[in-house]
Amino acid sequence: MNFKISKIILYLLLFFLLVPLFVLVIWSFSNSWPWPNMLPKDLGIRAYKHIFSFRTGTLGVLIYSIILSATVTLITIIISIPASKALGVYDFPLKKLFKILVLAPIIVPPVAVAMGIHVSFIKMGLANTFLGVVLVHLIPCIPYGVRIITSVFEGIGEKMEIQAKVLGASSLQTFFHITLPMITPGVISAASMVFIVSFSQYFLTFLIGGGKVKTLSLVMFPYIQSGDRMMASAYSIVFSLTTLMILLIMEKSIKKKYKRETDLFV
Amino acid sequence: MIKDKIKPYILLLPIMTIIFGIFASGLIMGFMQSLGRFEAIGMTEFTLRYYKEVLIDKGFLSSFGFSFYISIVSSVIAVVVGVILAYLLLINKHKKGIEEIIYRIPIIVPHTVASLLVFNILAQSGVLPRILNFLGIINEQSQFPALVFDKNGWGIIFSYIWKEIPFIAMVVYTVLKNINDKLRDVALNLGSDKKQVFFHILLPLMMPSIISSFIIVFAFSFGAFEAPYLLGPTSPKALPVKAFIEYNNPDLTNRPYAMVINMILTFFSVMFILIYYKVFNLINRYSR
Amino acid sequence: MSQIELKNINKSFDGKTILNNISLKVEEGERISLLGPSGCGKTTTLKIIAGLLKNDKGQLLIGDKDVSKVPVEKRGAVIVFQDYLLFPHMTVAENIGFGLKMAKKNKNIIKEKVDELLKLVKLEGLGDRYPDELSGGQKQRVAIARALAVDPKVLLLDEPFSNLDTGLRDEMREFISNLQRKLNITTILVTHDKEEALMISDRIAVMLNGEIKQIDEPSEIYKHPKSIEVANFLGNRNYIKGNIKEGKFETEIGLFNIDNREQKEVIAMINPEDIYLDNSSNEGLEGTITEVRYAGDRIYYKIKIKNKQIRVISNSDKVYRLNEKIFIHMDFNNGVFF
Repeated sequence: MNFKISKIILYLLLFFLLVPLFVLVIWSFSNSWPWPNMLPKDLGIRAYKHIFSFRTGTLGVLIYSIILSATVTLITIIISIPASKALGVYDFPLKKLFKILVLAPIIVPPVAVAMGIHVSFIKMGLANTFLGVVLVHLIPCIPYGVRIITSVFEGIGEKMEIQAKVLGASSLQTFFHITLPMITPGVISAASMVFIVSFSQYFLTFLIGGGKVKTLSLVMFPYIQSGDRMMASAYSIVFSLTTLMILLIMEKSIKKKYKRETDLFV
Repeated sequence: MIKDKIKPYILLLPIMTIIFGIFASGLIMGFMQSLGRFEAIGMTEFTLRYYKEVLIDKGFLSSFGFSFYISIVSSVIAVVVGVILAYLLLINKHKKGIEEIIYRIPIIVPHTVASLLVFNILAQSGVLPRILNFLGIINEQSQFPALVFDKNGWGIIFSYIWKEIPFIAMVVYTVLKNINDKLRDVALNLGSDKKQVFFHILLPLMMPSIISSFIIVFAFSFGAFEAPYLLGPTSPKALPVKAFIEYNNPDLTNRPYAMVINMILTFFSVMFILIYYKVFNLINRYSR
Repeated sequence: MSQIELKNINKSFDGKTILNNISLKVEEGERISLLGPSGCGKTTTLKIIAGLLKNDKGQLLIGDKDVSKVPVEKRGAVIVFQDYLLFPHMTVAENIGFGLKMAKKNKNIIKEKVDELLKLVKLEGLGDRYPDELSGGQKQRVAIARALAVDPKVLLLDEPFSNLDTGLRDEMREFISNLQRKLNITTILVTHDKEEALMISDRIAVMLNGEIKQIDEPSEIYKHPKSIEVANFLGNRNYIKGNIKEGKFETEIGLFNIDNREQKEVIAMINPEDIYLDNSSNEGLEGTITEVRYAGDRIYYKIKIKNKQIRVISNSDKVYRLNEKIFIHMDFNNGVFF
């Protein structure tokens, strides 16, 4: 009895989370859906046709966005691994302060940081460039990368590396043969999260990219703002499916190697 | 050995370059400008004038109140429902359920899209009023309460709770799964009923992660731009939106006002971090 | 404190039988061990008694009452788990007082009882510590005190000593044995360690493959196992096939005199410590030593007689060497025949 009620509430909650997405899909295929109709008057793929026509160049934007976020992800991961090792394995003076600094961007509003740094970026010629946007994206991404990978390092410690060194492996060999394979599942979860954060970024791209760096987030924003439901919904679907696909590819690549479930955990 | 002593710092060097070079210096420069020092346009004196002006401005105070209200309402609802969702997922876990995957979908959807979802459903031309109209509960669009662009911020709140429930549930569920199943058995065995197990065993063990995720979610909604920009009323505006409008003013001497708002946002965020770290120590104590 | 009786308890998971017709009666104040290898169903039995699992068939009586339908929190059969499972977010005192708090007892009563139990388990002054600040032995004592706090009718101990170091293990065995005698509380202990079961039980129930094979006092179980399975589980014995015929026992290694007059084909079990070695005379069976393991107070030998390996445990000071020729004496009147 009690058990059944809990199940009903669970499904109601899942319903609440999923129905909006379902509506989104319908709206993206609605060429026309006037009030007060319950169902669209004219179903079709006009929105998608428009998005993928050469004139709008969305495909190019999509690829550009993926490359940008992939670059952000790669850099974040590369700098997060050593930092996470320091924070997860070693004890040293001021460790707490470093930890706070690295995790702070999760709490401090990106709006404040971006507006503060904007002038310097303009001076250095970074504003309105790919590189400038990549650099500013690193800020919200770093806390996620470091949090996840640090917890992995806390779990495995240094024992295995020491064992490898005792057996005669050099530092480089140890990293590539021992450390990297052991942290890979965690690194993939971190990379997935970081990619989502970067790919979803609107405000930072808008401010620092100055409209010149056109990501998918940026391109679809005006449609949402103006209330063009069909186009906005179609863009949102394209956006979400792209994210989902990239996450699946990452998850697959790891499963092949490790046959172990990675959790999209934060 | 000296080499071992400096090793952690060397490992932290790349990330710290970014943190100091962009994050910290962005905040410092914002702080300077908030004090009226903006060399690019020849303002060089330090003054607290802008703080004074902003802090006594009624528009600012109502924006602050609005931001705070939206954040606290959405975060409290998201945490309560998120915890319930996590608990329900745990007790209804039998096989490899699809539930465990689908509840996380909103996490990958950006806030801009979440705003669109709310607009699609709750706007006066959205799906919900259409259903109510179909059922004969309302006859005209205008009979449906304005839940989007409204002064009570319902649209913003809905978009936040839709995004945040799965986030909270995911964090809490991970913790719940790692709580030894047998602790529940022990508690039952010692005579506690299911309700007592939840309130005396599970809830205290989840508490640190609940509080820390609450702070993350609260700080995020307090400082986020997109949802209030897309779904908020013309007045009052949420703080980040207000800051951006001041910032976007072609008159550059207006910049310090934007920066003051940013600094106030940041100040409160730093307070959140302090609380967060107090809580973090608790997490370490409980996680065996 | 009550007697407890299991009648024909059955349990299966996913069509696989875990418990097959378990029947067991434990007297009031008695200490009984469920002895068996891992996976034999002993922990399942414990959980069924506690009410954490439901039995498919059969009856479970505590006192004279059938408790099969009584939910776990009201049953009064408390398990002390192998890994103690102290609540990590509660102090020692809060852990011990947990059951009383759940029963909504008055605060002063709880405090009084907790103090009394802390004294009983010799942890005075540690009430404010957290579990992660305790040693293994201390944790276990907290777990026991926590169980005793709710005045259980039956105390169920699940492999209570297996997580402790050897020295501490002996100490805790003694401690719990004494405590149990003092409180005269009906106790069921689950263990895979035969020595432990032999040492601290009033009676032992040997469980193999989901069935209770034999229930007896420790010495009976050891000396007169009812089947080879039970015998095997309790030790490395020697089994010798042969025929009994007119007061003689004819075996693959030789002919022995025996009082038994029956005529049949049997397998005889003889304990390694009941075989004597001698090289002073040429009497007995001749064999060769193929393995020697010195263990201080005793010596383990393996000896080859014809094509048969025989195990011998010797308590004598004399150490024979590998490959040495030796004479063996065994008396099948002390043997068990299957």
